[in-house]
Amino acid sequence: MKTSSELRLAPGTVITGKWNRGRYRVERLLGEGANGKVYLVEHSRRLYAMKVGGDAVDLQSEINVLRSLASRRRRTEPFLLAVDDYVHRDGKEYPFYIMRYVRGSVLHEYLQREGADWFPLVGYNLLGKLAELHEAGFVFGDLKRENVLVGSYGRVELVDYGGATAIGKSVRQFTELYDRGYWNAGSRTAEGTYDLFSFAVLCLHLFEGRRLLQLTKTLLPQNRSPADLIRLTTGHPALKPFAGWLARALGGEFASAREGAAAWQRIMYGGGVKPARRRRSTAGWAAGLFACTMIALAAAIVWMISEGMLPTGLS
Amino acid sequence: MRQLLLITDGCSNVGMSPVVAAAHAKAEGITVNVIGVVERGESISSAEVEIEEIARAGGGMSRLVNTHQLSQTVQMMTRKTVVTTIQQAVNKELRQVFGAESVEALPPDRRGEVVRVIDELGESSPLKIALLIDTSASMRPKLAAVEEAIRDLVLSLQSRSGRSEIAVFHFPDSENGEGCVCDLDWTDNIAGVKRILPRLAMRGTTPTGPAMMQVIDFFRQGDYGRTIRGEMDGMTGEDVV
Ligand SMILES: Nc1ncnc2c1ncn2[C@@H]1O[C@H](COP(=O)(O)OP(=O)(O)O)[C@@H](O)[C@H]1O
Ligand SMILES: [Mg+2]
Repeated sequence: MKTSSELRLAPGTVITGKWNRGRYRVERLLGEGANGKVYLVEHSRRLYAMKVGGDAVDLQSEINVLRSLASRRRRTEPFLLAVDDYVHRDGKEYPFYIMRYVRGSVLHEYLQREGADWFPLVGYNLLGKLAELHEAGFVFGDLKRENVLVGSYGRVELVDYGGATAIGKSVRQFTELYDRGYWNAGSRTAEGTYDLFSFAVLCLHLFEGRRLLQLTKTLLPQNRSPADLIRLTTGHPALKPFAGWLARALGGEFASAREGAAAWQRIMYGGGVKPARRRRSTAGWAAGLFACTMIALAAAIVWMISEGMLPTGLS
Repeated sequence: MRQLLLITDGCSNVGMSPVVAAAHAKAEGITVNVIGVVERGESISSAEVEIEEIARAGGGMSRLVNTHQLSQTVQMMTRKTVVTTIQQAVNKELRQVFGAESVEALPPDRRGEVVRVIDELGESSPLKIALLIDTSASMRPKLAAVEEAIRDLVLSLQSRSGRSEIAVFHFPDSENGEGCVCDLDWTDNIAGVKRILPRLAMRGTTPTGPAMMQVIDFFRQGDYGRTIRGEMDGMTGEDVV
């Protein structure tokens, strides 16, 4: 099998497309996966993401999905911008495409940094993205933490359409942990419910990662079941309000992602969500310290006001 | 489309070379893939070379994996081979129609349509996969994982729109075995099958080449049609020989 893994583009490398002669300067590697490497590139003083694949057919399948999505939503900013080949010095050719650069972090890093308070909104936005994709006739397939990028204020973008599959076909690419077939919970036929199942596992992975992975190690293959996953939905305070929702998604009960999103939204604003307990990570500790400082500062200001010591500009 | 997937963990030591057998398979239009299953700390470097050569002669691919990666690998290899097989056929057409050597040689804006055809055919073309499992003693602790991978493969195949069937064989067939045993005749559903592979591992020989030749023969007999297949339903190891 051909892979792009042997190709490493150093920062500063300038790539010229074989067919369209577009020039792209590599800034740095953004990430990599099974199908290719993604670089941050500069072109006409703007930043883009460039995915370089090893296999032209695989990459083209992905491009086909992106194209048909683009033809459906003409008014929004295009995601796919150019497709071309890069001819390496050694004569080998690598197909690539240029897409919008999504400024953001992968899902779990975002939540770790910004806090679990963002989880309901980010989840809702992600469900919206999935619903949009389903309505365009595709299932995402390979939904997992690394393929969800979150930008400012919880805006969500799906990346990696390598698993995207026309509805009714067999899911092209998936990851065991998120696959309902792996959990003996249904087929690998591309249906909206397939993504919703992965979405639910994704939620568990975010807050009950250790217990989830433990299940994969202890359960015999024939004994894996959605019931085991459902048991993980009630433990963590961030998940608890959504426990019923998650159980329904794991059971394939939502007719569509749109319906799932609406149900999610009702929980989000229905008062079921309590602010999540701060994680005891360094970030949480720093936040706690910050809170203490703010309390001290507030106390100082109150004291200053009562003593009439405020600078004139502030009174 | 026809594939032979060999799952083993060691070198063959009896009969015809498996590399020759793989070349026979290729000549019959059967792509041979090989998975070497290794446990942590286990080294099968000599077998590794053989595994690679078998796959090369059989026009397929080879991978060395541990038991945890087995299901994913079987699934991925099968899919990848389907695409590659179709791609080769399509490339032949391309040469005739466009004078282009391959999909890659087309300009990007013309690849889309061709790849759509490849994807569509990959999904809908009939597919037959024979799994040939090494059940010699060292494979014993790995057989549960192999069986799981077979079930997982069937699950994936069931969501294809084209007819997809598997058959399962194991080797050696006896203590001083010279061939393989058919555990499962062509089928698309194994829900009712409690146990596919025998748990009793054979010690002794690893007749990879001869076993492969028997599987190739099995493919050929399948081509004669349903009447002959009916007769072969109750087939045992001896009948194959
Ligand atoms: N448009 C993009 N903007 C920013 N980062 C991206 C973009 N696309 C991909 N990435 C990063 O690159 C990683 C690998 O890309 P991906 O398309 O998932 O490759 P693969 O198909 O090989 O898994 C992603 O996990 C993500 O972190
Ligand atoms: Mg990815």
